[in-house]
Amino acid sequence: MAEYTSEDNKLTLKVVFYGPALSGKTTNLMQLHSLLNPERKGELMVLETRDDRTLFFDMLPIGLKSDSGLDLRLKLYTVPGQVQHDSTRKAVLSRADGVVFVADSQPSQQDNNANAFGNLEENLEKVGLDIDTLPLVVQFNKRDITGVVDETVLQTRWSATPWSPLIMASALRGQGVIETFRTLLDRLYTEINDEFELVSRHGIDRDRFITRLSTSHEVNRA
Amino acid sequence: MRSFEDDPTLDDLLTPEQLQRLNHALSALCRKPVTITPHRQDDAVAVEFNLETVGWLSGGASPGERQVASELVSFLMMFVAKYRLAANLHHDTTEASYAELQRQNEALKASEARYRELSGQLQQRVDEQVEVIRQTQQELYESSRLRSVGHLAAGVAHEINNPIGFISSNLGVARDYLDDLRGLLPGTEANRELLDDFHDLIGESVDGAKRIASIVSDLKTFSSIDQADYTLCDVNKLLTSAIHLLQTEYGHQLHITERLDDIPKISGHPGRLSQSLYNLLDNAAHALRDAKSENGQGRILVKTTARDNEVDIVIQDNGCGIPDANRSQVFDAFYTTRPVGSGAGLGLTVARDTVRAHRGTIKIDSREGTGTRVSLTLPGT
Ligand SMILES: Nc1nc2c(ncn2[C@@H]2O[C@H](COP(=O)(O)OP(=O)(O)O)[C@@H](O)[C@H]2O)c(=O)[nH]1
Ligand SMILES: [Mg+2]
Repeated sequence: MAEYTSEDNKLTLKVVFYGPALSGKTTNLMQLHSLLNPERKGELMVLETRDDRTLFFDMLPIGLKSDSGLDLRLKLYTVPGQVQHDSTRKAVLSRADGVVFVADSQPSQQDNNANAFGNLEENLEKVGLDIDTLPLVVQFNKRDITGVVDETVLQTRWSATPWSPLIMASALRGQGVIETFRTLLDRLYTEINDEFELVSRHGIDRDRFITRLSTSHEVNRA
Repeated sequence: MRSFEDDPTLDDLLTPEQLQRLNHALSALCRKPVTITPHRQDDAVAVEFNLETVGWLSGGASPGERQVASELVSFLMMFVAKYRLAANLHHDTTEASYAELQRQNEALKASEARYRELSGQLQQRVDEQVEVIRQTQQELYESSRLRSVGHLAAGVAHEINNPIGFISSNLGVARDYLDDLRGLLPGTEANRELLDDFHDLIGESVDGAKRIASIVSDLKTFSSIDQADYTLCDVNKLLTSAIHLLQTEYGHQLHITERLDDIPKISGHPGRLSQSLYNLLDNAAHALRDAKSENGQGRILVKTTARDNEVDIVIQDNGCGIPDANRSQVFDAFYTTRPVGSGAGLGLTVARDTVRAHRGTIKIDSREGTGTRVSLTLPGT
C-alpha cells in the first residue's frame, strides 16, 4: 500500500519479487542494482543467505525527486521461495503496490511455478490485496538454459490471463530484467497516478516515471 | 505500530550509549571532534542510509573530513539496519504466527463447543426416541392385554352360553311341572304356600338366567371374537351392548340417555369399535363419579346421527371435565386423571387409533367442571 506523508512530501511504493525457490529473484534484484542508474539508488541489502538462499528478504531502494519536491521512493523486495518461509512471504507481501512473479523456465520446475503462483494468490487474499487489480508482471527466467519450455507454449498457456504477454528473461545474463521492471512500472503508474496526482500535481507523467526510475547504464552510454 | 519496513530513525538504529561511543571513536579518528545528531546543525552533512537521512554529522576539521566520516557511518549503519530489519521482520512474523495460532485455537474451541452442543442435542434426540419406543412398547403390551381380556371374555361367554341355554329352558319346563304338581297334591294350606314359594323361586331364577343370557350376548357382541376382520357393523347395536356392559359394571346406577337414530351400517371392526365405545362410556362414567354434586344429577347422553354417508356419534357427560392444562395430553397413551393403577389411561388413545384406522375423526370438547363431549365421525360403507 503506497504511503504518502505530507510533512516531508514523501511517497513510498513497494514492489515484491515473488516466485518459487531458486527461480532467480535475488539475481533479478542484483542485476537491477548493477544495471540501473536511476536518480537515486541505495544499497542492495541481502538478508542474509544460508547456502546461498534468501532467508529473510533482499531489499533495494531506488528513488527520484520531482520538480515539485516529491520524494518518491520505490523499495524492491524479494521473498524467500522455500515453502517453510510462508509467514515471511506474507509479511513482505503485505501492502505491496506491485508484484513481479519470477518463474523458472525449466520443464522440471513447472509444478513449482504453479504452486508458487497459487501461494501468491492465496497470500494476496490473506493480506487483503486483489490479484485482479494489483500491478503484476510474470517473468519466465533462465531462458539461457537449453531445454527450457518453448516460449510459444508458455505464451499460449498464459494468453487468456490478464498477465499476458509473459516476459522472457535471463537474469544471470542481465537480459529481460529491465524490461520486466519497466513493464511493472508501467502497470504501477496506471494504478497510482490518479490517487497521488503524479502528473497533475507533481508533473510526473508515465514516460518520466518509467524512464527516471529505470535508466540503465547502457542507455546512458548509448 | 511501526512495520518492519518503516525507515529506521537514528533512535531505532543506535542506543544513546552506542551513539556516544561512535561519536567518541570518530572524534579520535578526525583531527577535530565530530558529533552525530538526529537534527540538522549548521555545518552538518547528512548521514544517509538507503536514501534516508538518518542523522546529521557536524564538527571535524574540514568538509572533506565530515564527508568521509559520514560515509563511514552510513557504511556501519547498513549492517545495523540489516540486523534491525531482520529482527523486526522476525518479530512481525512471530506475532502474526502467534495471532494465527490464537485464531486457530479460538476456531478449535468454537468447533469443540459446537460438537459438544451437537452431542447434547444428539443425546436429547436419543432420549426422545427411547421414550417413544418405551411408550409404543407399553401401548402394545396394553392393547394385547386388552385383546386377551377380550378373548377370555368371549371364551367364557361362549362356554356359559350353552349351560345357560338349557338352564333357562329347564327352568321353564320345571315351572310347567310345578303347575302339574299343584293339581296332584292335596290342596292344604301348607302345600299351597310351599308351591307358591317354589313358583317364585323358579320365576326369579328364570329372570336371573335371562339376565345372564343377555350379558353373555352383550359380551359376545362386544368382543366379537367370531368376526376376525372388517364386517358391516351396526353401531347402535355395538353402543347398546357396551352400555349394558357398563351398566352391569356400575350396578345399573348410571343415567344414560340413548338417542339413537336410524343409521346405516358401516364397515368396521366390531371388536375394536366396541372396545373404543366402551372406553369412552367408561371415561364418561368416571367423570360423573369425580364430578362435584352441584352439577345436579350425573347424566350421560349417547347420540347417533346419520349424515352424508357418515355416522356421527356423540358421547356427552356433565361430569368433571378436563382441565385446560391437560387438554393437549388427553390422547397421550397413559394420560390419566385417575389414580395410577386403576388400569385406565389408554382409553382415549385406543379410541383415537381405532377411529383413525377407520378413517374417521375424533374430537373432544371439554370444560372443567361442566362436562365433556366426545364426537366421533365414522365414514359409511
Ligand atoms: N542459468 C541461469 N541461472 C540463473 C538465472 N537466474 C538465476 N540463476 C541461478 O539460480 C540460482 C538461484 O538464484 P537466486 O537469484 O538466488 O534465486 P532466488 O531463490 O529466486 O532468489 C543461482 O544459482 C543463480 O545463479 C538465469 O537466468 N539463468
Ligand atoms: Mg533469493
